[in-house]
Parts: sequence; structure tokens; C-alpha cells
Amino acid sequence: MPEYAIEVKDLTKRFGDFTAVDAVSFEVERGRIFGFLGANGAGKSTTIRMLCGLLDPTSGMASVGGFDIRRQPEKVKRAIGYMSQRFSLYEDLTVAENIRFFGGAYGLTGKALDARLPWVLRMAGLAGRERSLTRTLSAGWKQRLALGCAVLHEPKIVFLDEPTGGVDPASRRRFWELINGLSEGGVTVFVTTHYMDEAEYCNDIRLIHAGRIVAGGSPQELKTAVIRNPILEVSSDRVVDAMEVLQKEPWVLETSIFGTSLHVSVADESEGRRLIRERLARAGIAVLRLDRIRPSLEDVFIHKIEEQDGAAGAGEGRP
Amino acid sequence: MKAILSIVRKEFLQLRRDPRLFPVLFISPIIQLLLLGYAANLDVRDIPAVVCDLDRSAASRDFLDGFVNSGYFTVRARVGRMADIDRFLDNGQAAMALVVPRGFGDQLAAGRPASAMVVADGSESQSATIGVNYATMIAGRYAQRVMLEKLARVAGAGAKPVQVGAEVRVWYNPELRSRNFMIPGVLGLILMIMTMSVASMGIVREKEAGTMEQLIVTPVRPYELIIGKLLPFVLIGLFEAAFVLAVAKYWFVVPVRGSLLLLFGMCLAFMLNTLGFGLFISTISRTQQQAMFTTVFFIMPMMLLGGFVFPIENMPPFFQAVSHVVPTRYFFIAIRGIMLRGAGWPELWDQAASLLLLGAVVFALSILRFRKKLD
Amino acid sequence: MSVLSLCCLRPVIRKEFRQIRRDARSLMFMTFLPAFMLLLFGYALNFDVKHIPLAVVDQDGSRASRDLVDRFRTTEYFDLKAVLPRTAAIDPVMAREDIRAALVIPPTFSDDLLAGRGPAVQVIVDGSNAMSGTTAAGYAGAILQSYSGRVTLDALGRRGLTGLVVPLDTDVRVWYNPELRSARFLIPGLMAFILMVIVTVSTAFSVVREKERGTMDQIRLSSIRPLELILGKVVPYAAISLGSAHLVLLLGQVLFGVGIRGSYPLLLAAIVLFLTGALGQGILISAVTRTQQVAFLIAILTTMLPTFILSGFVFPIRNMPAVIQAVTYLVPARYFLAALRAIILKGVGLWAVWPQFLFLAGFAALSVGAAAVLLRRSETERPRRRRGRR
Repeated sequence: MPEYAIEVKDLTKRFGDFTAVDAVSFEVERGRIFGFLGANGAGKSTTIRMLCGLLDPTSGMASVGGFDIRRQPEKVKRAIGYMSQRFSLYEDLTVAENIRFFGGAYGLTGKALDARLPWVLRMAGLAGRERSLTRTLSAGWKQRLALGCAVLHEPKIVFLDEPTGGVDPASRRRFWELINGLSEGGVTVFVTTHYMDEAEYCNDIRLIHAGRIVAGGSPQELKTAVIRNPILEVSSDRVVDAMEVLQKEPWVLETSIFGTSLHVSVADESEGRRLIRERLARAGIAVLRLDRIRPSLEDVFIHKIEEQDGAAGAGEGRP
Repeated sequence: MKAILSIVRKEFLQLRRDPRLFPVLFISPIIQLLLLGYAANLDVRDIPAVVCDLDRSAASRDFLDGFVNSGYFTVRARVGRMADIDRFLDNGQAAMALVVPRGFGDQLAAGRPASAMVVADGSESQSATIGVNYATMIAGRYAQRVMLEKLARVAGAGAKPVQVGAEVRVWYNPELRSRNFMIPGVLGLILMIMTMSVASMGIVREKEAGTMEQLIVTPVRPYELIIGKLLPFVLIGLFEAAFVLAVAKYWFVVPVRGSLLLLFGMCLAFMLNTLGFGLFISTISRTQQQAMFTTVFFIMPMMLLGGFVFPIENMPPFFQAVSHVVPTRYFFIAIRGIMLRGAGWPELWDQAASLLLLGAVVFALSILRFRKKLD
Repeated sequence: MSVLSLCCLRPVIRKEFRQIRRDARSLMFMTFLPAFMLLLFGYALNFDVKHIPLAVVDQDGSRASRDLVDRFRTTEYFDLKAVLPRTAAIDPVMAREDIRAALVIPPTFSDDLLAGRGPAVQVIVDGSNAMSGTTAAGYAGAILQSYSGRVTLDALGRRGLTGLVVPLDTDVRVWYNPELRSARFLIPGLMAFILMVIVTVSTAFSVVREKERGTMDQIRLSSIRPLELILGKVVPYAAISLGSAHLVLLLGQVLFGVGIRGSYPLLLAAIVLFLTGALGQGILISAVTRTQQVAFLIAILTTMLPTFILSGFVFPIRNMPAVIQAVTYLVPARYFLAALRAIILKGVGLWAVWPQFLFLAGFAALSVGAAAVLLRRSETERPRRRRGRR
């Protein structure tokens, strides 16, 4: 039994002269929920597809469930479940027909399939809707159905590519309950997402940006280790103007807008508080609230990206 | 095996769910056959002609009678001046004109060569070619007759002209119904168009819809996938063939003299090819639109180089060579042989072998091209 | 005139052009396929019935019979494929289409000739191909007749009567098409056939593609009107197929010597009308189907075989039963072909082809109009998809 469910070493994928995934390395322990976090186009889907045997890597190696993705892709496919970013079940089949079909594709026989079918329906909350055409389901139901079809054959490793895209928050939460349930059952879950709040649910995260891993660790580790500077949250009704004012200040390390508030990263908290009030008052911008907050993963992410971009474009400095 | 059955079942379910596909697959071939069975007709009879007799002698009338009574021509008008012919030819009322110049009878009586003129509307060169052929034959016959009559008069007894007679026997289709030749061909065309189209679009559809991704991440093997996707169309194709055959036999009264089993066997061998080509197309196309164009690109030569209307032996050697890789060539020979001539396995085994060989090659190429990868 | 704001038309056209450009293969096909097919078939296809495969059963074996066989061997109308030992051997070979005609020379052939009796030679033709069967019989008859003439003249010559000639000479002059080469005949037909199929099929895809991909909803939500949508989609394809049609004409001129006898503006008008109608038909098809697969099938079925068989391209309409002739009035390629042939090969003016133009215009108006109506109707329907509970 391999120690790690997934091992990746210097995995690279180039499309022409565009490098989608750049020498990515990581390990995933068995039974954990592993999150791949990044913006659209960062390379998440490409990585997942390589790990599932759907794309050939340009260089590097990876093993999934103990099988090498280059040399034993079919064995990999047998051992994993996969849910793609775009809904890829058959819209013109009913729920039950889809389940039966993919069961057959995974070699589940009559009796075994009959046993699994109700389980999948229950899990997806689709009991009683077996005869509905998949096309008529809403996004949330569809995603759960897709998850169900992905785990029909009880794989030990499951890959989910942006499973909650386009789904309302309540459905998202329910979906993550399913994922937790899987993990508790010993299944390794590899999930990609661009929702920062979802990343909190993972055991282990990697932040990926422009094809490279820029940070990694548990959510807690990331939040405490990466960001050492205090972050102050400024609420105002003129957030954009406030940002413009504060950006120019030399003692401001980073600013970013979060909805109707501004996160300002400063070297010293009390100094920062004072200076912020002063500068904004001078500019005639009212400050509704000013608090120190604990950094969220989003703050971590933005910090890391700007660090990466800053390093890449050295010389075009920002404060 | 299970995987194949799952895929077959899925394909049938999907077919049933598309409300338009089903009628298109089954009803339209019948309509096509009905329409085309009546229209596809290469007999050239009753060619409309204009007659211009400038001589008005007994000889010229005799000569023209030979044309008029031949059954090949229908006289639309008799004009007195050459200039009047233009009108009829220009607006298509007549396809040919027969002109006997003045002095025709006198020339003949004096034993000098006479001439007549056949004018054909070459923009319809099919009728024109045949019309001119007929006209030449008829004129030749008349010439022979005149000569022999002359010789009989000149030579007297003891020097009888010798006439080698032709006893014409028409085999297999004594009434010479053009339809009997055309309909097996139309049958093959319909079968080819239907099966190749759906096969070429079938795999590309899944690529475009994204379901292919989910399918190739399963342990299903390429050959299972391919067989599973194509098997329904084999069955459908056979059904269609049976339908069309029934219409041909009972409505058009085209004979089916040979073995039905062999006939359906040939259809299967043919479908191996059409489906194989369709499959190949879908492995080289990224979108359905591409598949569509490529399919049209393949269907056209198959339609035209297979010997359906244009005889292969009249093609330049290059195209004759190319026709060897066109499955319709073998299928048309086989199906015409079975239906019209009662040909059996001993006569047609090599057509079957060619079909199977060609189909196997195409299939092998496709399976090799089909990889369970996304790029 | 319904409201047609150019502002909405241009983006549709541009988008369609961009999509077409991105799909290089499709663009290649649309532009060059017609010309390519023309090349292919202009060289390959003709209506000549020559080189008919023939077998001979010579039961006489005399010099006279061999002489006769030689005539069949050397003519280009027949290809002597086999000399068979007995008549029973004919059927299997003919059933396989190795031969399509057979000549059986009776054992008494030369004796009959010498005795001045007229021997009869059996000419067996494969009737299943009625046309070539008839023609083969005709050719054989003509060869036998000319052989008879030769034999008679020889016999008379032996008796001292010489100087006899065949008294009749048919001067065959062919108007419009002096060489009677089928290429000329085929080119207008091929042009019509290829353009109809390709143009209709490619536009049939245009709207259905949007439907299948789900981008139709977005279009519905915008302010684009159905007529604008159609026109916007039609314009790029129209432009490309116009270019393609001219390429075909050019090739026809350069390679096959088929020049335009008549007026070019008139020809252009005919092409534009035809293309409009074909494009409209394509869009009409796409408006009533939901999947690209079905759109393709319907497009192919309503263009390929009907155009090939019912337009007068290969089979003369004259010979068809009255009912079918009536049906051919519904095939737009029929009018296009007639107009093409008249303008290109005969060089006539509008006075001779105005009926064709009338029909072409009617077809164009009908198909575009029907397409607009159907598109509008399908747009005012609320999308039926999301019926499930959220």
C-alpha cells in the first residue's frame, strides 16, 4: 500500500509555447481532502486531467493510487472517480439511466449495480426522481448526480474539478457535507476550486497561480505563517476612493477591496490605525469601522499572487 | 462485454429521445427511394426533334420516316426553313433537328454521295450523345439499305448482298427497364448516406457536449466504445435496408432473384465500410461542423466514382484506380448482381472479400487513431 | 420594411466570420471543395458509353469469324475481355459484371457467308443496365452492318464490280457544343449540385450550433431581431460561397474551356438568387431542428440526392413520369441549372430565362421568409429547460 495516495514530481504541461502547468510537485496523504486553489486559467484543470490520465504530461512524473499516470493510465482510471468542471453526463438520459450507464462502464454487474443505485440516489438527494430527464435538473442536483456517478464503483481516490461551480451557497454546503462524508469513509478527495471559503474545508491546500504552486499547507498554517503583518479592515461608503488614497502611502504594504470594505496590510497596528484615520479624514472620506481582522485565505492568496507577480515583474515596483 | 452493452443501450435510449432523428432515419429513405426510383431514368427515348425537309422528295421522306418511326425521336415540329430551327432549339422545345438539304433525292438517284444534317443541342450532351448515336445508326441503316438495293439492281441475280444479322438477346432485364438498374444503386446510396452521416457525427457529438471526457475516464476500452457506438447503427442500417428492399420489390417490382441472406450479408459488409469511414472522420474532427464537411467530402466521390451512373471503364485510368478503394464500387456490383441477375456466392465472393478487406483497413486505422486522451 | 438596424447586424456578421475563420478546416472546405470536386469530376465523369466489356464465343473459328472478332476488338466501343469456350460460360461472367455484352458466332458462320446466306450472330446484352444495353446492341448492330457492307463489296469486287461507295453521308454538326464533350454539360450541373449541397448544409449548422451550445439564450436576450440574425448569419456564408462559385467558373474556363457565352451580370444575378435560396433553406432547416446531427441529415437528404437526381443534372427531366416532373418544380437546382446552361453554354439573354429567374426569386423569398417566421416563433417561446426544483 503506497503511503501517499497521489505523488506528483515536477509535473509540467506545455501547449505550444504556453506553459499551463510548470514543474508542480506535491503529495497527498490517504483519506485527506486536498484542495487545489487558484483563479481561472491557473492550471488546476490541466493538472487534474493529467492526474486522471486524460492528458499526457510534457514532462515530470506522477503516481495515483500507486500507478504511474504515463505508463499505466488505464489502471489509474479504474482506481479513481472523476467529476469534470463542465457537466458531462448525458442530458437526454434520465437520472437512473445515467447511473446505470456509468455503472456498466465501470463493470458493475446487475446485482451490484442494483445495490448501488439507491445509495447514489439517496446520497444525491434524488430519491424519487430516477425517471427525471437529467436536462430538467437544476445545477445543484446535477452536480450531486455527477458526484454520485463518479463514486459508483467505490474508488479510493476521487478527483473533483470545480465541483460547485455555478451552484447556490446552500447547495454548496450540502455538497461539501458529501465530500466530508466520503473523506470520513477513507476516500482521498482531490478538489480544485476558486472559492476561497471552500478551501477552509480542506485538510491540505496548494495555491496555484500561472501554473506554479505558490504556497501550500493546511489552511491554518497558511493563514498564520504567510501573513505576518496585521491586516486592518476599513469599512467605508467610498471604498474605491479610500483605496486610491491609501495605495499611495508608503507605510501601506498592500490594499485590496473585499466587497464594501478595504483590507489594508500595515507594518504596525496602532500606527496603522492612526495613519489611516488621518489620511482618510484629510481626504474627506468617512470611516465607518476600523478593525483588525484575522487574515482569510483570500488575503493569503492575494498576498502570494502579488508577491509572485512582483517577483516576476521586478523593477516595476509597487509599494 | 458489459461495457459494450451499456453503450449500446445508451445509444438506443438517446436515439429514442430525439424526436426528429427517428422519423428521419426511417421515413425519409422510403420517400427518397420513391421519388428517385421514379426519376432516375437513363432511357433516352422520345427525344424531341424538329424536322426540316428542304428536298421534299420521295427519298427524303423515306429517309426521315426511318427516324420518325424509330421510336427514339418525337417530332415536335416540321419546319420549312433552316432559320426556323433556332427557335426550337434555343428555348429547349427540341433537343435535335434533322435537316435534309435540297437535292438529296437527286444525288442518291445519280449514285453520288448525299448528305443530311443532324443538329443536336449539346448543352444537354447526354441526350445529344445518344441522339446523335441513334441518328448515325439510323442514317447508316438507311445507307446500307439503299446501297444493297442498288447492288441488287446492278448485280442482278447471283450476287446477292450478304447481310449479317444480329439476333439481340437481352438478359436479366428483358423489358429493359432502366429502373431496375437504378434502384439498387439508389438503395446503396441511401444506406451509405444515412449510416456514414450518423457514424461520423456520433463520436464528435460527445466530444462537443463534453460527455466524451467522462466516458474516457472510465475503464472502457477504445474497441468497446467504438463497437458500442456503432452497433446500433448496424442494426438500424439493416432495418433500413430491409424497408427499402421491400419498397423496391413490392412497389417498384424490381426483381430480387438471388439469395436474401447473401444480400444482407453484402449490406453488412458495405456498412462495415460506411461506418468505418464515418468513424474515421469523427476521429479526425474536432467539431460536428468539421465532421460534416469531411463527410460530404467523402460521400461525393463514393457517389460518383462507384459506377452508379457513370461507368467506371470510361474514366481515366487514375480514377479507375481510385475506384478500387471506393466501397460503393463493390457494393453496386454485388447488389445488382444479386437482385437482377441472381448471382450467388461463387460469382460475388471477391466483391465481398474486397468490401471486408477495405472495411477492416478503415476500421483498423480508426481504432489506432482513437486514443483515450483529450488532446 | 421591418426595422433593420445595422448596428445589430454588424456584430452578428463579425462574430460569424470570426467563428468561421477559427475553424480553418471548415473554411477550406467551403471555399475549395466545390472547385476541387469540379476538378475531380470534370476529368472523371462523362456520359460516353464506350469500352463496353465484351466476351466472344467463336463457334466457327474461321478466318471470316476471326475477322469479325477483330472488328469488335479494335473498336473503342467495346473492350474485348474474354474469349469463352462455350455459351454456358457467359452467364457467370456476366452476372459478375465482368462483361456486359457477349457475341456468339455460330459454327456455320463462314459457310453461310460463302453460300450467300445471311448468318445470324447472337448479340447478348446485359439488360440490367438498360442504357448501356441498348447502346451496346446498337453499336453491335452497326458494326455488323458495316461488316456486312464490307463483305458484300468484297464479294462484288471479286466478281469485278468495283468503285461502289456508300451513298449516304451523314454530316453531323452539333450546335453549342461542337465536341459534345460531356465535361461542358457536367460543369453547370456540378456547379449547381456542389453549391447547393455545401451551402445549405453549412448554413443548416449555423443556428443549430448556437442552440446546441446554449448560446441561443443569450442571443434571445439581446436586442437582435430574427431577421437581423438570419441576415447576419447568411452574409458571411454568402460571401464565401460567392467566392467559391467564381472559383468554379474560373476553373471551368481554364481547364475545360467552358467559357461564359452570355452576360456575366445575368449569371451573377442567377447565382446570387440561387445562393440566397439555398442559404435560406439551410437556415430554415436549422430553425426546426434541435441537434446538429439531425440538421445535417435533413440538409443532406433534402439536397444531395434530390439535387443529383431531380435537377436535370444527370437524368433528363423530360423522361420522368409526370408526377415526378411536377416534383422537380420544387427543386431549386433545376431552375438554376437550366439558367446556368442557357447563359453559359447558349449565351441567351433574360428573355429566354425569365421563368427560371422568377422561380429562383420565389424560392429565395419563400425560404428566407419561412426561416424568419419560424425563428421568430421559436424565439417567443420561453425556454422550456429548467423545469426541476431548485
